[in-house]
Amino acid sequence: MATDISEPLPGTKWRFRSLLLPYLFLLPATFFLAVFMAYPMIDAILLSFKRWDGLNPAVWVGLRNYRLLMQDDVFWKAFKNTAFFTIATVLLQTTIPLLVANLINSGIRGGAIFRMIFFLPVIISLTITGMLWSMILEPNFGMLNEMLRNLGLKEWTQLWLADRQLVIPSIIVVSLWQSLGFYLVIFFAALQSVPEDLYEAASIDGANAIDRFLHVTIPMLRGTIIVVVVLNTINGIKVFDQVWVMTAGGPNHASETLGTYLYRTAFGAMGSSNPQLGYATAIAILILIMSFVFSVIQIRTGQMREVEM
Amino acid sequence: MSATFDKRALMRPNILRHLSRYRLARVVKSAITYAILIALSVVLGFPLFWMVMTSFKNQREVFSSFWPKSFELTNYERVWNAMDLPAHLQNSLYVTGLNVTIVVIAATLAGYAFARLRFPKRELTFYIFLAAMMIPGQAILIPMFIFLKRIGLLNTRTGLALSMTGGAIAFAIFIMRAFFRSLPGELADAGKIDGCTEWGVFWRIYLPLSRPGIATIVIFQFMGTWNEFMFSTTFIYKPQLKTIQPALYQAVGRYAIDYTALSSGLILAIIPILIVFLTLQRQFIKGLTAGAFKG
Repeated sequence: MATDISEPLPGTKWRFRSLLLPYLFLLPATFFLAVFMAYPMIDAILLSFKRWDGLNPAVWVGLRNYRLLMQDDVFWKAFKNTAFFTIATVLLQTTIPLLVANLINSGIRGGAIFRMIFFLPVIISLTITGMLWSMILEPNFGMLNEMLRNLGLKEWTQLWLADRQLVIPSIIVVSLWQSLGFYLVIFFAALQSVPEDLYEAASIDGANAIDRFLHVTIPMLRGTIIVVVVLNTINGIKVFDQVWVMTAGGPNHASETLGTYLYRTAFGAMGSSNPQLGYATAIAILILIMSFVFSVIQIRTGQMREVEM
Repeated sequence: MSATFDKRALMRPNILRHLSRYRLARVVKSAITYAILIALSVVLGFPLFWMVMTSFKNQREVFSSFWPKSFELTNYERVWNAMDLPAHLQNSLYVTGLNVTIVVIAATLAGYAFARLRFPKRELTFYIFLAAMMIPGQAILIPMFIFLKRIGLLNTRTGLALSMTGGAIAFAIFIMRAFFRSLPGELADAGKIDGCTEWGVFWRIYLPLSRPGIATIVIFQFMGTWNEFMFSTTFIYKPQLKTIQPALYQAVGRYAIDYTALSSGLILAIIPILIVFLTLQRQFIKGLTAGAFKG
């Protein structure tokens, strides 16, 4: 890729090249997005209108998959669980990282060390997180119950992931543990761009720490807060890895999410053999529509500015 | 802080008492801040610490003591050999390396175009690209499986690496565009006056300056691909070709309550990504601060 500096500026050849250049820059990204995203996406939409077991030819069934889904109890169970998980993680994984980022940014020493510790779980995969926490939450041998017993709090021990009521809250806590640092770093980075004199001006006007947080920090970080809420929503609606690893949707669908139900219908759990690829893809399309609709609503209500996105 | 300093206090004879009360308030405030942060660090760090401790214990000590009596490496040895970890780590490195290379090159070029080059319908094109970010992996899981099978890349590491490029490129473009926008535009004018072509402006001026941005997408992408589970577990089912995450997940059954072996396996899977993160983290924070998430 030689850059010929000596090339004459005016001239039709040069002008043609500079018109074409942006498209050359976009070419690689467009190719991969088209082949490995747009094409399968269109295929998915078509597949959701078909019945297919992966072996025999697919049959066009129109809206049948979607109609069946509306009458499917497990689907609704998964829907409710996913909604609960998403709402809880959006709330927790936005407010807690924002507050902690403020604490770290309050001018204390050693902020970088805390940031580092909080970020450690983020680099660990959700799969490994799930396996680690399965060991911790295991009722008989797990570290948590073991610790409670040693502290003389035997009545506090729980079945955790095996308990129908506690399984989703447990998964929410595990997810918070894993992703707190991620959103924390995003907020921390954004806080660096809030001008110091805004805080000073507020202090002179008699604002205390809480006032400054509510009336300076939050308005200044509005754009970042929206981005974090949107990311959390998308990640919540598609939640799969940690649930699949820890409970595979059990016990008895108590932690079934749209993600795990889709996977089970398509590829079967524990070697079940009745793949319903069209039906599963219909679930996928619903996941997509929901992420899209909620993101757009959130961006619109937050009136995302177009500058510096 | 200094603003709360009261001028009238100077007039009073007990000025010293006022000052020390002010200082005391500050000390109390930072003590509370530290207490919260340290407590949170303990809660967040403890599971990891416990995992490291467990990996050094022998099987009798797992439940009987918190500290391992004789830091043993036998668990690591056992898992390394039994699971054929080197092969899985190598698979993961291949998949991640190929995927990160493609994504970083494609997204840097496109991010630059969206930030600095002029062409019709630029913003609209950007938002169309960005929409791909919102498509969850599940939506394309099954068609991708069929597609890879048709082009003969199912059960290959290359196929897996390619399957994860689509959505990732959109996110990386989002970050690179923000980063290139944060660099001053006058640089381009200066370069052109000096006789650089458009390509020269990118290659000689902006690219060398974009290291923090590139470090940011390398870290995100390395984490994303190395840690990916759903595609990895679905598109490769030949045991010897499996990447590390699904390989570990499969091993869980075998080591169900052998926590010592499991812990050391998990740690061995974390080490490569820890190295990448520690090497690039300074640039990473710089890249994030440049404004990718300012909204």
